[in-house]
Amino acid sequence: MTDWDVVVIGGGNAGLVAAIAARHRVPRVLLLERADSAMRGGNTRHTRNARCASPAYPAAELWEDLSGVGPPGPLAQLTVERSSAVPEWMTAHGVRWQPALAGTLHLGRTNRFFLGGGKALVNTYHRVAASLGVDVRYEAQVTDLSFDGPRCIAVVLADGTRVQARAVVCASGGFEANIDWLRKYWGDAADNFLIRGCPQNDGQVLAALFAHGASSAGVERGFHSVAIDARAPRFDGGIATRLDSVPFSIVVNSSGRRFYDEGEDLWPKRYAIWGRNVAGQPGQIAYSLWDSKVNELFLPPMFRPVVEADVRSLAGSLGLDASAVAATVAGYNAAVRPGTFDPSRLDSCSTEGLEPPKSHWALPLDTPPYFGIALRPGITFTYLGVRVDESARVLLGSEPASNVFAAGEIMSGNILSSGYLAGFGVTIGHVWGRIAGESAARAAVAR
Amino acid sequence: MTEAPLSGLFAEAERQLVICNACRYCEGYCAVFPALELRRTLTEGDITHLANLCHDCRDCYTACMYAPPHEFAIDPPAILSAVRSESYDRYLPKLPGGKTAIAASALVVFAICALAAGGASRVAGSPYRVIAYPALVTAATLAIAWGIALTGWAAVRYWRDTGGRFTFRGLVPAAVAAATLRNLRGGGADCAYPGDDPSPWRRRLHHLVAGGFTLCFASTVAAAVSQDIAGDPPPYPLLSAPVLLGITGGAGLAVGSSALLVLKRKSDISLNGAGSSAPDYALLTALLVLSVTGLLTLVLRGTAAFAPVLVIHLCAVMVSFAIFPYTKFVHAIYRFLALVHDASERA
Repeated sequence: MTDWDVVVIGGGNAGLVAAIAARHRVPRVLLLERADSAMRGGNTRHTRNARCASPAYPAAELWEDLSGVGPPGPLAQLTVERSSAVPEWMTAHGVRWQPALAGTLHLGRTNRFFLGGGKALVNTYHRVAASLGVDVRYEAQVTDLSFDGPRCIAVVLADGTRVQARAVVCASGGFEANIDWLRKYWGDAADNFLIRGCPQNDGQVLAALFAHGASSAGVERGFHSVAIDARAPRFDGGIATRLDSVPFSIVVNSSGRRFYDEGEDLWPKRYAIWGRNVAGQPGQIAYSLWDSKVNELFLPPMFRPVVEADVRSLAGSLGLDASAVAATVAGYNAAVRPGTFDPSRLDSCSTEGLEPPKSHWALPLDTPPYFGIALRPGITFTYLGVRVDESARVLLGSEPASNVFAAGEIMSGNILSSGYLAGFGVTIGHVWGRIAGESAARAAVAR
Repeated sequence: MTEAPLSGLFAEAERQLVICNACRYCEGYCAVFPALELRRTLTEGDITHLANLCHDCRDCYTACMYAPPHEFAIDPPAILSAVRSESYDRYLPKLPGGKTAIAASALVVFAICALAAGGASRVAGSPYRVIAYPALVTAATLAIAWGIALTGWAAVRYWRDTGGRFTFRGLVPAAVAAATLRNLRGGGADCAYPGDDPSPWRRRLHHLVAGGFTLCFASTVAAAVSQDIAGDPPPYPLLSAPVLLGITGGAGLAVGSSALLVLKRKSDISLNGAGSSAPDYALLTALLVLSVTGLLTLVLRGTAAFAPVLVIHLCAVMVSFAIFPYTKFVHAIYRFLALVHDASERA
């Protein structure tokens, strides 16, 4: 006798949506959450919006934006198409909405913000799941899946329990919290990565699927990352640790040299490349430096910046070579050409004859006091995952598994390659949570 | 950034609110977070203002990914409640012996007056058979004047300390927010009270208590009008303005405050935050005693128990007037001032 129709591994938005979608079709659904009830929800706890196609934001434009951040994966088109149904599904399942948050007005058309952010979303879905009769087991760490040919016959927990299910949905996230795994692709640089996401995402289920022959999707070094305050905690720092000073500042590496155009494009289109930019610098550290003219133009940081009366002292306080930084600032200031400063659009303030240039919002650093914050790469989630087909079914080699499906970050490599588009993680979770939950329910009934 | 560092509760509130201001996920819940976003640095006055603007709906706590056991340990309702409680005391003069002494002296004074003055009226069921009209009016006037003077003084000090801003354009939205308890709606999500699940009951019961209180006040005014303008002395029949207003108001107060006491008890069991809830219990219990004794004077006015019940009720009223500046009752004043300040700075 099989205990459950559908077992869902992982309690983030992909897992919760899969469990709810499955429970709409089959009676016995179990969700395995690795965290305790206080810390439930995985990386979804740190989310705040979903980027979905709508009449105001046509699928073609979303596709264009997605293509703009890197070559889209084989299931990206389907994700974009299905995204338009996501907000309605969310509303129908108790999610409330709010206007775009302050400082994110540019996302008002393309992204929908749910009231209270991701933990509120998780709480809402847990209430819905409970009212539908989905069982939830907390602190349930899955260590393996037991296969008989292409069929998963049991999910194995850390305490040795074997949970039998007719169908399984793997929605357990990426492996970003597994530093040893990151080190395989990044070497020692991985030791300097901070993980913005939850500490439970060590990729144990993903590794188990690979061990059972699951095909992979996505690139090994693919991840969503942003530049965050170097003082942020090693894990789980989330949104509050990010720093929005980059386009209004100059960013130097540990040698005091600039290395990338800070004003290349509007910040929402560039924030997601700066984690990678910093990851590519010696020691995986960089320093954003600005002056008092622009200090109040971006969201206030969580940690207080270093403040000094002159550039040399600032460099010294940040542990940088004062002469090198002073030379960089002098060279930059000399290259700044006059223009009309406007933070809300690609303005005409740029440098001339400077390598790398600062294409927009380039103002000289000349008004004390001066501010600085050290940055580290903050990894949100990894892209390398299991390959799935259009029904979210996991592929074992080239053969489809008969009853194993995947949703969310664990299969994001089917959609994302290198870059990231704000709010698309929640969209992936919902689109594929729903597909995986429905497919798993069908597989459970078909047995 | 150059101000003197904050200490104690303010330092902890600042630590948390700086993280809130970098996050901003909660800005749809209430007025506190949009107000916070207007400030890049926080003074003690700012924090006191935000603390009194907070209606303790707790939605931000249940929605916070940084709430304990996360190492950021964010719990705005708890820290703001602690700051708020402290602010209720800060602006009042420290009287020797504290609240108990004030309550006791008011009680003794009034009881002596009541006994000494005696009632001259011969009308059955008339309060003036128990207590002489001049004694009642004198005692009530003194108690009310004392309470109003103290709270007025405290309110002025609070307003100065928090850098209060007033505009006529802000007055209407503030009054609407106070009357509808908009900040207990959680942006449409209702309050996470008494447990973690959203519920409209705290807001509804608060409306019942506030409405009941207002009707009781209206009953007293109606009685004064009947007696002093229409020349119709008490007791009043069942179908009269003072009695009807008093019954509905008293019932609303009694039901509302008892139900809030039950919710409060449940909330205390589920809550792990700081902040004292003793003043909440005290206010709710006082309102319950006032309403129940008030209703009893009506029910028992034809019996021998009328005189003792009336004395108990009037003593409760006098003591309440005398000590209300030192009770949770003042939340209505500070919170309304905070709403006016907030609406004015955004008007």
